[in-house]
Amino acid sequence: MTSQTVSGTAGLTEPAVKRRRRGGWHAYLFVAPSLFGVVAFLLLPMVIVLVLSLFDWELLSAPEFAGLDNYVRLAGDGEAWHSLGVTIAYVLLSIPLQTVLALALAMLLNQRVKGVRFYRSLFVVPWMATPIVLALIWNWIFDPRDGAINSALALVGVTGPDWLSDPTWALPAVALVSVWQYTGYNMLFFLAGLQGIPKELHDAAETDGATPAQRFWRVTLPLLNPTMFFVSVTNLIGAFQVFDTIYAMTAGGPSQTTEVINFRIYQTAFKEFDFGYAATLSTLLFLIIFLVTMAQVRFFGKRTTYDLS
Amino acid sequence: MAKRILLYAALAVGAFVSVFPYLLVVLTAFKTQAQLSQTAPWLPGLPPTADNLVEMLESDFPRFLLNTAVMTALLTVGQLVFTTFAAYAFARLRFRGRDLLFWLFVATMMVPSAVTMIPLFLIMRELGLINTWYGLLAPYVLGTPYGIFLMRQFFKTLPAGLEEAARIDGAGPLTILLRVMLPLCRPALGTLAIITVISSWNSFLWPLIITSGDDTKVITVAIATLKQGIGVDYNLMMAGSLIALVPMVAIFVFFQKHIVRSVVLTGLK
Repeated sequence: MTSQTVSGTAGLTEPAVKRRRRGGWHAYLFVAPSLFGVVAFLLLPMVIVLVLSLFDWELLSAPEFAGLDNYVRLAGDGEAWHSLGVTIAYVLLSIPLQTVLALALAMLLNQRVKGVRFYRSLFVVPWMATPIVLALIWNWIFDPRDGAINSALALVGVTGPDWLSDPTWALPAVALVSVWQYTGYNMLFFLAGLQGIPKELHDAAETDGATPAQRFWRVTLPLLNPTMFFVSVTNLIGAFQVFDTIYAMTAGGPSQTTEVINFRIYQTAFKEFDFGYAATLSTLLFLIIFLVTMAQVRFFGKRTTYDLS
Repeated sequence: MAKRILLYAALAVGAFVSVFPYLLVVLTAFKTQAQLSQTAPWLPGLPPTADNLVEMLESDFPRFLLNTAVMTALLTVGQLVFTTFAAYAFARLRFRGRDLLFWLFVATMMVPSAVTMIPLFLIMRELGLINTWYGLLAPYVLGTPYGIFLMRQFFKTLPAGLEEAARIDGAGPLTILLRVMLPLCRPALGTLAIITVISSWNSFLWPLIITSGDDTKVITVAIATLKQGIGVDYNLMMAGSLIALVPMVAIFVFFQKHIVRSVVLTGLK
């Protein structure tokens, strides 16, 4: 077997090892199990979703080709668009707040602070816990009668709302749990990013008479661009797919005010057995995540990334 | 000076908010039903009772805990083994189509897991693997593109001439991987193991979809049904939560330095 693969892809070629290496079949053997996994459990499912979205299939009957019927139905499906709206509201309620808080915490920790490691570890604790267990815990915290929040409010004479059964408060409450869970986790990335900014740059800006605010907007933030890009992309991809906390905290209620798109997909497929249409909704979700990610690639790509190495 | 005080106050508030829910779990798990409604949530019930924990441990809960431990162990071992082989080949062996295959792997990192749930279920249904261990494990035991990407990056950092000496001595790729490379991989493998353990232990949507019987029920699914089963008995629910959290807390206590480093290195949710 020849192994004269001449690769033109920059960044993927090894340091020029010119001599042929024997035993090329070993490599295929090494890659085979993972390759099978990727093809069978990631690529094939993507193809199935696309194909299935063109079929009418309720699992018990035979699938029937339906052309674009499901997409026409989607266009006029008020509930689907409602759940998309809920998802976007959830994203807007959670991501900006948790990103700003994470950056603020990181900037606090990036000063000469005693016990940095201690705080850093504590802030990551929420991220580690099982989302389903967290949902249960927060259900208890939001309990209208004996929960911690309303009990604390009662101390100052305020009657708290019914949080999770109140159409106004249910979605913000669920979004707050996400903020609680991921702020510390995101903080780790910002802290690592901040520590990579040479101190001389701040000193130079200070000598030039830049105010702390100017230093933040003109030095810190632009240099954090790669970190911001990473945090923003991963957070948004995760938030658009939120499921566990919704399932265990509100099950989409009250009156569908927390019914995010992924929960709607689950209901359509595994409660209503409308697999064809559920696949159409999945395709929509994929498209949205893809577009949002691409938009971020463009947005962050336009900004100059400074190479400090 | 005032600024310093403000700084530490802000950090203390952040730390308190981070651990407060956990504190609440412990406090509530040791309260009786009567103490639950009589004492403030943030105060302990006196005298504390172990009844809730005993009741949960005498139910089917330990069995689901064991199922979760088995699932986590098998997924972690599987992912470490298959990921190491694939990543090594991608990083240090040359073969036709290598770069093309690798880009295929990288491209699949973009596929949201929510989107593949329905077809995965249908594939398992077609194979008759619904409600079986095979169905539960198959999609994840062969490794993830992310893990392979991570390990490949690590293998590429090892010195280039490393294999040469062994190869001159007549060692084949398998021997080189196991004898020369693997001992150097401990930190990277540790990172991958921690990530896999956490994500396996916490996984919910796939187990919820693919399993229904008690034989394969995992702790997350059991916890989710707990709410429908025992209504608003929060003392029992928190006892269940406490039991489910213990392994994660133990991992945290023993590996916290490693975890923080892993997160920064990999950025995996």
